[in-house]
Amino acid sequence: MVERIKAELGATLKETPVGEADYRERGYHLFAEVASADLLNVARFFDERGFYLAALICVDYKEYLELVYIFSNHASLCKVKITLKIDPAKPVAPTISTVFDCAYWHEREIREFFGVSFDGHPNMTYLFLHEGIDFYPLRKEKIPVSDEDKKALGAFRPGEGEDTFFVNLGPQHPSTHGVLRVVLKMDGEYIEDAQPVLGYLHRMHEKMAENRSYLQFLPNTGRMDYLGPMAFNLGYVTAVERLCGIPVPDRANYVRVILTELNRLSSHLMWLGAYLADLGALTPFLFVFDDREEINDILEPVTGSRLTYCYFRFGGLYNDVDDAFVAGTRAFIERLRSRFSLYEKLVGGNVIFTNRTRGIGVITKERARKQAVSGPVLRGAGIPMDIRKSEPCAAYGEMDFDVPVGTRGDALDMYQVRIREMENALNIIEQALARLPEGPIMTEKAPRKLKPPKGDLYHTVETPRGELGIYIVSDESDKPYRMKWRVPSFSNLMIFPELAKGNLLADAVAILGSLDLVIPEIDR
Amino acid sequence: MGVEAAATASLQEVINWARKNSVWPVTFGLACCALEMMVASSSTYDIARFGAEVFRPSPRQADLMIVAGTVTKKMAPMLKRIYEQMPEPKWVIAYGSCACSGGIFQTYNVVQGVDQIIPVDVYVPGCPPRPEGLLKGIITLQQKIAAEPAGQRNLVSLPWGNNG
Repeated sequence: MVERIKAELGATLKETPVGEADYRERGYHLFAEVASADLLNVARFFDERGFYLAALICVDYKEYLELVYIFSNHASLCKVKITLKIDPAKPVAPTISTVFDCAYWHEREIREFFGVSFDGHPNMTYLFLHEGIDFYPLRKEKIPVSDEDKKALGAFRPGEGEDTFFVNLGPQHPSTHGVLRVVLKMDGEYIEDAQPVLGYLHRMHEKMAENRSYLQFLPNTGRMDYLGPMAFNLGYVTAVERLCGIPVPDRANYVRVILTELNRLSSHLMWLGAYLADLGALTPFLFVFDDREEINDILEPVTGSRLTYCYFRFGGLYNDVDDAFVAGTRAFIERLRSRFSLYEKLVGGNVIFTNRTRGIGVITKERARKQAVSGPVLRGAGIPMDIRKSEPCAAYGEMDFDVPVGTRGDALDMYQVRIREMENALNIIEQALARLPEGPIMTEKAPRKLKPPKGDLYHTVETPRGELGIYIVSDESDKPYRMKWRVPSFSNLMIFPELAKGNLLADAVAILGSLDLVIPEIDR
Repeated sequence: MGVEAAATASLQEVINWARKNSVWPVTFGLACCALEMMVASSSTYDIARFGAEVFRPSPRQADLMIVAGTVTKKMAPMLKRIYEQMPEPKWVIAYGSCACSGGIFQTYNVVQGVDQIIPVDVYVPGCPPRPEGLLKGIITLQQKIAAEPAGQRNLVSLPWGNNG
């Protein structure tokens, strides 16, 4: 696959050379630098071959700005990095939102954080920031936003309509699970258009990363996705380990898998409770919190916290697990297995729930690829893609589990996929516990002060919500030069407007819930 | 004085007693801490023991705002509006380090403590605080309400008046 793409891409680009990168070091197979005139052709090239746009990143190298496009594939592992250099004095690039719909959002993000405007983009307005911020936060120098730009960016203003009106879903709304705001254009009870407005929890983790050492940034990762912080921890430490070449002992790898899966269970349980509460059923909420507390009781003595974990370290773990942990986890597996039949009776077999969710929010395979959704939402749409399988980190490669997929791609499928994923997680934990090796939990080779070699890395892990991509640029100092987080909820939210169109307002809540969004992760 | 004064004092006590045992919070989760707030309302911690389980989605029906999470500058105007929509008397608990002081987020878009926008009655620090922390916060607030003398709470919109 990689060879074929390299040959074909070389033929398309003609003069520009296509380089081959060491996948283990860099996280992508091929790279090429294109001119802005070629960009649309390249995007079409990847679109025709069934790739999706995994991430769109901008890096400020002072002399020039660089746009990084990561193209990836659901069917087989092949990642391509396309870069485009632009002039920082007059930052303009062509849009590829006409080819890949998800670029629409990424380009808006880059517009406000770097000041790069995209030619041909239909809506270059503020997404995260508000009008009071008069500089481009992620540029290395403080560059003021000109008045013209401010006017062009503007805030969202509802337009004039005859029979339509606007409804604000959020930012304070119980079923947006946080401070998400969606401006809904309504025609009576039906939704005509939906525009998410983000940034109500924008805390700028990415800029904080540039001002902290690699270790100091570790606690931030747990605060990005507070429902599945363990997976974010895992993604970050494995990325830095990959960048610096730090080995990890076997025992630590197994413990990492157990804890990440326990956290995935707690996240999916939380989703189940909150989703059902959104749909008007409060009883499951009380049941799942009972189970969640059991997980917290297991994790707390080991990690030292209940929610925003910061447990993994570069080269190992902070603390070893003891026999009480192993026994407690085994007991919990038994307990949760017996609860699944209860949930099936209470929720899955409940005709009110199934009729409410069947046939709404249908995602086709093609739309899933174009919008680059990931995780349970992608699998619900019928694409069997799991990063734990395709790019296993820690000890995931040694675990035996299947990838559940949906058949219809509707909200009910998302529910069933998540329930089966919970059963899978229990199986993974059981396998890892049975094979848990003895030995050290921390490598002796980890340097005290991390200074990764010069270069970049795009590293992905599977979080409870989907593909987390971490793009790190190192300039050999002890702080990252640039760190971009490609977060799953942001990508999954992008598909919401088209799912909501033409549906009832009440169904919008059911669809939004099926995507399982976590707001601090979207806003970063 | 005499009978009248005695009657007023005990009436205030009755009012305070009623108020402190039915503080209804507005559903207002901002970030990570909101999850611990939800845990506090679940069966394990059972906030209902303190009469505060009735989370109201509408600020018009609530008298306690638990600011659970980071307040950003974009969210601040909405937060203030929701606070102003709540009927008097109303109380505020700043739950978590971010709401108390901005926490670890000393960045351009984060308000360094919710007390810069609205008055706070009880601070609960921690990142995030345990659910017991919220329960302790509510108990502290109840003590504060119980000790409230008559005619001391000024109306925010009417500086010359008070609501008894």
